[in-house]
Amino acid sequence: MVGLVVVSHSRVLAGAAAALAAEMIQGVPVPVEIAAGLDDETFGTDAVAIAEAVAAADRGDGVVVLMDLGSAVLSAELALDLMPDDRRDRVVLCPGPLVEGLVAAAVAAAGGAGRDEVAAEATAGLAGKQSQLGAPAATSADTGDGAGDGPSATVVVRNRHGLHARPAARLVALARSLDAQVRIRNADTGSPWAPATSLSRVATLGVRHGQRIEVRASGPRARAAVDRVVALAGRAFDETEETAGAGPQPWAADQPRGGPADQAEDRGRAALSGRAEGGPAAQASGGTGAGQPAAGWPASPGIAIGPARRLSAAPLAVPDVPAREPAREWQRIGDALTAVRHDLARLRAATGGEGSIFDAHLLLLDDDDLLAEVRSRTDAGESAPRAWAAATDRIAGEFEALADPYLKARAADVRAVADQTLRALLGVPGEVVAGSGVLIAADLTPAGAAGLDPGRIAGVLLASGSPAAHSAILLRTRGIPAVVGAGPAVLEIADGTPVALDGRTGEVLVAPAEPVLAELRARARDQESRRRHAAGRAAAPAVTRDGVTVEVGANVGSPADARAAAEHGADLVGLIRTEFLFLDRDAAPDVAEQEAAWREIAGALGGRRITVRTLDVGGDKPLRYLPAPVEANPFLGVRGLRYTLRHPALLTDQLLAVVRVARDVPVSVMFPMVSTVGELLRARRMLDDVIAREGGGPPAGLRVGIMVEVPSAALKAATFAPYVDFLSIGTNDLTQYALAAERGNPALAELADGLDPGVLRLIDAACRGAGERVTVAVCGELAGDEAAAPLLTGLGVRELSVTPPAVPAIKEAVRATDRAAAADLARAALGRPDAAAVRALLGAGR
Amino acid sequence: MTATVDTAALTAWVREFGRLIAAGRDLLTELDSAIGDADHGVNMDRGMTAVLAALAADPPTTPADVLKRTGMTLVSKVGGASGPLYGTAFLRMAAAAGAADALDAPGYAKVLRAGLDGVVARGKPAAGDKTMYDALAPAVDALDEALAAGRPLGEALRAALRAAEQGRDATIPMVARKGRASYLGERSAGHQDPGATSVTMLVSAAATVLGGD
Repeated sequence: MVGLVVVSHSRVLAGAAAALAAEMIQGVPVPVEIAAGLDDETFGTDAVAIAEAVAAADRGDGVVVLMDLGSAVLSAELALDLMPDDRRDRVVLCPGPLVEGLVAAAVAAAGGAGRDEVAAEATAGLAGKQSQLGAPAATSADTGDGAGDGPSATVVVRNRHGLHARPAARLVALARSLDAQVRIRNADTGSPWAPATSLSRVATLGVRHGQRIEVRASGPRARAAVDRVVALAGRAFDETEETAGAGPQPWAADQPRGGPADQAEDRGRAALSGRAEGGPAAQASGGTGAGQPAAGWPASPGIAIGPARRLSAAPLAVPDVPAREPAREWQRIGDALTAVRHDLARLRAATGGEGSIFDAHLLLLDDDDLLAEVRSRTDAGESAPRAWAAATDRIAGEFEALADPYLKARAADVRAVADQTLRALLGVPGEVVAGSGVLIAADLTPAGAAGLDPGRIAGVLLASGSPAAHSAILLRTRGIPAVVGAGPAVLEIADGTPVALDGRTGEVLVAPAEPVLAELRARARDQESRRRHAAGRAAAPAVTRDGVTVEVGANVGSPADARAAAEHGADLVGLIRTEFLFLDRDAAPDVAEQEAAWREIAGALGGRRITVRTLDVGGDKPLRYLPAPVEANPFLGVRGLRYTLRHPALLTDQLLAVVRVARDVPVSVMFPMVSTVGELLRARRMLDDVIAREGGGPPAGLRVGIMVEVPSAALKAATFAPYVDFLSIGTNDLTQYALAAERGNPALAELADGLDPGVLRLIDAACRGAGERVTVAVCGELAGDEAAAPLLTGLGVRELSVTPPAVPAIKEAVRATDRAAAADLARAALGRPDAAAVRALLGAGR
Repeated sequence: MTATVDTAALTAWVREFGRLIAAGRDLLTELDSAIGDADHGVNMDRGMTAVLAALAADPPTTPADVLKRTGMTLVSKVGGASGPLYGTAFLRMAAAAGAADALDAPGYAKVLRAGLDGVVARGKPAAGDKTMYDALAPAVDALDEALAAGRPLGEALRAALRAAEQGRDATIPMVARKGRASYLGERSAGHQDPGATSVTMLVSAAATVLGGD
């Protein structure tokens, strides 16, 4: 197969172009090598690197080199001088355009074309764009005027965007595999015939949704070839599968939300309904017309009792009023976006580290594709609300049509922010809860959760949703008890009906009888008194009955979180999510700004240790100023340390700020998403360089560690141990990677459970591999589960880092633990078959 | 009249060129910012700094060695179009120097012309395109003429430098037809070409270091 080399001044540009081309040839291993930039940031080309890239891409069939401009061409020519004669004869320097040419070349190479044909395809790569824009098309060797004889057929193209690049690539790939010469033309425009083996020529046909293409073939297997093409068109050119990992650019929240709750029907739920039925009043709801809502997922601890309250939102309909002049309508859009941006920024600021979902919503408001469509609609005479609704509806629809569940779930984010903006446009107030009590809704947007008044809303009961959804996380942070995923029956509960729920167990009781209510009130009082007791002792260390100290820290995502951590008695900050300082801005914070932020957090903690996690971003949370290639699966992509090692200037600045703060207060630095010792050593070398450059030797209070989120890292803990002071287990990611179950997917809520014995075995392996010297911490959601505290202590964990309000209760859980008993408990848990069995062992309901 | 240019002399030439580039870095960048992408000074300085480090770390043993390592380092470190252009020039010079331990005056002139031929082969410039060629070509011609007229190497190199300076200054009114500057069209007129400026430094370094006859 012919190999391809991309030569560009910019490594980022070359990488993105290669990623774009890779999308077109999914599964076909076309060798594509990059020789671009002098390093990740310095523009330039290097003839030696080009020669090496050609050598790497050459599998014997030759290499086609695509270049951007100027020195790229000169360096590529010089590279020819630097290579052996036999290889030089197999290399074609292609005069085609870089991006279009690379895409066309990749498809041709994937179809088995020779190097000259690949280069010719790439050279003709502009033809589609020129035809579309009415410019004279590039000349091509094959004018393809006549179709010749042979069988033919006509089919309608059903793809939403017509025969655009991806489906066209499928057609070309098929045509190249057939033992026939296949030609197609746009039957509706009467276009000239084009060889179906040429992506650039197929693109010139401009086939749109609903238009017919005529297919004609000649050669030995002509009839079969026509049939195969017709069949492919009938499958919409496999577009749903092809687009699974691609589709529109995801603006990406850091996890998807929402989804029909009935997917969560499962064994865990059945068990819970059994328990709910145990409450005699659960069936006493006949008069309410509520049927029998059983139970849902515990999403935020606490007991709530009160009348059912519904979200009442004024209906959101686009009025049929004529548009004023386009400039006025566009201005309305701008005003509404400004108002929504303001609201979102306020919510973002008020919700600290858990509010990152609002960053994604803010990004959506800046989406060029969306705004361009809205603009063209207002220019065409549509009113602002109509243009906005149509454009956002199309984008949400595109997400919903995708096969990739991760991308599919983005639709909920789009609809949430689209509605918010539409309300602003129309002056319709947002969703409000009338009166006080237990809020019942189908689902809750993050903005909705952030806007609830804890003084009036005793608890939240959702038909849909997941405990891992952003809205649930926000409810926990705000201390509002909640049960989610309770099924659509809860929506039938009449307004005002007495409802009780226990956010620790998932129990839901509708119109409970007085004795049951009394018992619940007693339980609530008991929980409240325990809470007060814990709060009273929060500042004291957490020591087990037999004298083992477990440090209980807080996870923070803002200076406000840090103040809350101090108020709740945190022994340290076990995790600073530094992303809050880097997202949603146009340039990275400089060293001084970072230093000031960590000093503010350290100040709030009064000199207790703070743990700075270096930037943990990836393709799902792109930084505007350091664009990353689009990845089909960002959670398995370039993120965490993988990302920052590719941006050494960024990492160096982070480390510099850490080192400077560590001169004055104890600071730990930890690297996220580490998979190999090599990655760790590269990061440590950069840290050493920073310390050497600063002078004064290593700061006394500086400790270095890694996050353990990748299962293989947990198993290799002993190999990391010599190079770290601590390991911090991120159980959220560790769980989803270990169980191959995304934590935000409500259909997998039972599976993605940190108490799964497989996850516990990984934690056990990390503790044993760490040895005596290296401290093991847990900073994921599991650390905040009171029931899990003895288990984690028994496994050898000596630090738990949790959301600030959970600190007092976790300290109490540690104080109630006996190490020997905990070790027995841990051993027993490792042998259980699943998370439910472990929960039963811990004596905690779910 | 029997001036010889040996490994040490060539190394000194390259070092002097590096010094001039470092000293002229801001000037080159300023010139390039008017008609290009404002990186010529930075790029050349990065390249020559790496060359000097490489030569210092492992002193070369033959004239060809000096020239080849200079060329290879520039190819990898400069980044812009001057990387392959200067790189090719030095690599061609190395080939022309062959296995000789030292070059006489005509031998050095032959080496310099091979460098010019390399620039032509790589960049395909014509006279008046507003490139380094417009300074280097007259310099090489002047060197050959002076030597043919029986002048000693030092005098010939000073003649070459004058020719380079005239060629460099003559680029000011030219309209660029190569490189990034060509996108500016008529607007490139009125600015001195940065490539012609840096290559004049190369000739100047030769006149300073090799001209002491």
